[in-house]
Amino acid sequence: MSERRARDRAVDEGYVLHTYPYRETSLLVEIYARGAGRMTLVARGARRPRSAMRGVLIAFQPLQLSWYGSGEVRTLIRAEWIGGQPLLQGAALLCGFYLNELLLRLLPREDPHEKLFDRYGEAMRGLASEAVTGPILRSFEKSLLREIGYAMVLERDVAGDCGIDPAKTYTYDPEKGPLEVSAVASAGMKLAGQTLLDIARDDFSSAVTQQQAKLLMRLLINHRLEYQPLKSRRIFQELMEL
Amino acid sequence: MDALRCMPGVGPKAAQRAAFHLLQYDRPGAQRLASALGRALQTIRRCARCNSFTEEELCALCASAKRDPSLLCVVETPADLLMLEQTLAYNGLYFVLMGRLSPLDGIGPREIGLDVLLERATDGAAREVIVATNFTNEGEATAHYIGEMLRGRGIKVSRIARGIPVGGELEYVDTGTLAQALVERRPVSNA
Repeated sequence: MSERRARDRAVDEGYVLHTYPYRETSLLVEIYARGAGRMTLVARGARRPRSAMRGVLIAFQPLQLSWYGSGEVRTLIRAEWIGGQPLLQGAALLCGFYLNELLLRLLPREDPHEKLFDRYGEAMRGLASEAVTGPILRSFEKSLLREIGYAMVLERDVAGDCGIDPAKTYTYDPEKGPLEVSAVASAGMKLAGQTLLDIARDDFSSAVTQQQAKLLMRLLINHRLEYQPLKSRRIFQELMEL
Repeated sequence: MDALRCMPGVGPKAAQRAAFHLLQYDRPGAQRLASALGRALQTIRRCARCNSFTEEELCALCASAKRDPSLLCVVETPADLLMLEQTLAYNGLYFVLMGRLSPLDGIGPREIGLDVLLERATDGAAREVIVATNFTNEGEATAHYIGEMLRGRGIKVSRIARGIPVGGELEYVDTGTLAQALVERRPVSNA
């Protein structure tokens, strides 16, 4: 048993995405680890009053995690705080919950996404230190879509098969990409060519780009989620109405 | 046995033991338990002012004339309320959310009754609202939005402090707490 246990043992850097109470004193922990990807671990006894893991297994903080096992749910042995990043505060917490929900809904299990893991770490550090959160979220959404196999077409008009003109107006087909429309066209989403080019360069300095990029990303993510609503988005809207 | 298993900490074995014990050796005890549960279910409801459990319209705390109505302390659960009462350091009133904001579990402002809290906090009596939700991400988010909601309406909102425990030694404090205590350091007062 101990030999097998040693073989199935793994140590990885990771983040807690969410936890659920499990049995009387344990927790089921959804994690996103650098090498292992998204996984579910059981943290035995983590809800006991004096558990060493209590207070460590919180979201948005980089942790050193070790676990063993081979089934769908592995057993967490140890979780240690790596540190170096302040806790998220205020509205940034809601952004964090949103990003975690995106990962839980869109990232397949046990599939390593190391590049995206780094982007996630950057996003968390950004949310902890910067006042403006929009560009951080857009940039992460773009990386996430690319990682799960939906790289956005941003620099080519898919109908005319030509480059994007910053001065023209486009709409966006979630399956194909940008299509030119006349500026006065009726329904649907309208994006400035400049917005598409800005997103391609991760430049969210213009207010118009920020606003249009938000709508475009929402469309694409909703499409990937097959139009099943995100809980964190609904709750954010309810909080804004208070 | 199935009915007994609905309690936390009671598995199949414990439920079987309890059931046989009650039936074999302690039938009066079983009767007491049954009537106590029945009575509790019929009479216990939520306090109209603080949302905690009570048998009356108002709980004993809210009805007490000795408490300071200008202070309102917001907690997540009745258990948190009892902990704060044990400190004997607080003389104001309470509001129990019966939960916390948890976007990933779909628990939002409606589910924890932030609208009821808003009504209670703006009824004219409270001058300061003390937010004593947990120092988890969910508790912090709850505190932030309670602050946003009330500050705009001219009510002073404060948050309980966090840091090194009383009698704590830095050497034995966990790193997360220590790091946050550094971030949230305060000037040494000369009072």
